[in-house]
Amino acid sequence: MDVLITGIIMGTFYALLALGLSLIFGCLKVVNFAHGEFFMIGAYVYALIALKVGMNPFLVLIWVVAFGLIIGLIVERLLMRPLYQKYTEWGAMRDEYAIIVTFGLSLFLINLANQIFGPYPISGPGLMPMKERVLLGNILMMSSHRLIAFCVGAGVLIVAFVLVRYSPWGKIIQAVSQNRFGASIAGINSTKVSSIVFALSSALAGLAGALLCPIFSAEPFVGALPAVKSFVIVVLGGMGSVPGSILGAYLLGVLEQFGAVYISYTYRDTFGFVILILFLVFRPQGLFGEKAREV
Amino acid sequence: MEKRKLDLLVSVVVFCLMALVPVFVKSAYWLGVLVVALYFSLAAMGWNLLGGFTGQFSIAPATFCMIGMYTSAMLVHYLHWSPVAGILMSIVATAIVGLLLGWVCLRLRGPYLALTTIGFAEIVRGLIRFSYDITRGDLGLSVPKLFGGGGHVTYFYTFLGVVVLVQLLLYFLIRSRVGLYLQSIRDDDVAASGRGVNVVGWKTLAFTLSSLICGLSGGLYVHFIGLASPETGLIIQSGLIIGMAVIGGMGTLTGPLIGGLLLQPLSELVREFGVQHMLIFSLLIILAIRFWREGLYGSFRKVLARVS
Repeated sequence: MDVLITGIIMGTFYALLALGLSLIFGCLKVVNFAHGEFFMIGAYVYALIALKVGMNPFLVLIWVVAFGLIIGLIVERLLMRPLYQKYTEWGAMRDEYAIIVTFGLSLFLINLANQIFGPYPISGPGLMPMKERVLLGNILMMSSHRLIAFCVGAGVLIVAFVLVRYSPWGKIIQAVSQNRFGASIAGINSTKVSSIVFALSSALAGLAGALLCPIFSAEPFVGALPAVKSFVIVVLGGMGSVPGSILGAYLLGVLEQFGAVYISYTYRDTFGFVILILFLVFRPQGLFGEKAREV
Repeated sequence: MEKRKLDLLVSVVVFCLMALVPVFVKSAYWLGVLVVALYFSLAAMGWNLLGGFTGQFSIAPATFCMIGMYTSAMLVHYLHWSPVAGILMSIVATAIVGLLLGWVCLRLRGPYLALTTIGFAEIVRGLIRFSYDITRGDLGLSVPKLFGGGGHVTYFYTFLGVVVLVQLLLYFLIRSRVGLYLQSIRDDDVAASGRGVNVVGWKTLAFTLSSLICGLSGGLYVHFIGLASPETGLIIQSGLIIGMAVIGGMGTLTGPLIGGLLLQPLSELVREFGVQHMLIFSLLIILAIRFWREGLYGSFRKVLARVS
């Protein structure tokens, strides 16, 4: 039972990451390989502000989101714009450009953090005192930070999901991801939508980083593993499918925990990859994706 | 002059210059740096066959180097094979891994290869780090060197010879019908398959060959350094290799060669000033792909075309 709950808690944080990734894939049709570094930035911002300024951790979360939005906007403006502005000129080169530029960005951010803060992990304070434990219905003991972080994460996830799925703005995002050209004929400023989506997903990743910061400390490489997992999830859920990526996140979180307990703890991070390979072989369109269609 | 012939000519000039280097450079340290640079050049050439000529992006060239290293290292360490046999086996092993991985994810279009390889990179490194009893984890596995005696000069010429050989093979491959298939897949895979090119098959072949070249470079390298460690499979190492190919000039035969030979010594120099060489390097990658697509060698070709 507690394995399941731990899995669900981890799944929530994976979902925050994977939601952003799949929104970007939907709108911009590229995979953001620097996603884990937004996670890392969130963790650093949280740890540094909370420790140096001594602000209330909940207020720091707002700063983390603001910072994530700004970083996302800057990155989109500087590096992602050419993907859809000079559409004709770039043509077949866009995949190539997107992969290498985001990969380069990921290396750059990792090394920038390494240069500025050094390779030492910085652990942030918990949202609640870390030592405090809560008892859930006599079954499960967990630190109250974990519980609160889970609640915040799940809350944000639900709000984001409802916004993307049902609000008018979400409908605009869906329109752009279905057909960028068609959406712009219908009067949607698809460039603006893309930059908002990019900023939003960067903020979500940063939030996940901040919430997990007291558990995994902030260090330059902290984003690598969560990012790899969110890549797995995005394939699992079907590229660009929002409900698919959230479901995939929970699936991976739970399977990983069960694998860690019942198969092998040392190799827990490899299960994700095994699942990825199985999906690629047997169900490449993912849980919710459609078979690729040519436009 | 025809484009590829020019590539070959410039490569030959570079090789001749390189062959003269040990006459002037006596310092063992700098010769060692050049051997490492040749290792990176070889890996970058392997990556370029896939990324530059076929348009498929693997994020894990260094992982294949690492697989090559550990294959040879373990065969030599546990079964007491000779290093040469170990290196040959590391070619075979990486070819098989490349073939399997390519078969799984190259049937799909889009960014699946990049996604799978980045996962693959982290997982293989994790496997090697945590299989402590076999690979000795982070401590690394120490292996005998390729030549008992002989200074760095011997290694330098061996590496150079292998690089020359691979470059020649790549030249003939790219100029052959197969090379044209690969480039047609890069430029427009739908049109290519419409003209009867077996897109998936050739993509898988390119991936296998590219992995194999990386495996070869890894196998050679491990018997030069004398230590196989999971550090060599870090994503950052892959970044170095990809960066060398991109900055040198993707999709040209000579670009990755020049990229590796120039950038590795350069990053050694930068390190002496106490700046993280990867910081500058990754910035260069971003700038190169954003504003300077043709890379060093492409610019050189342009200048040459204007002069002549």
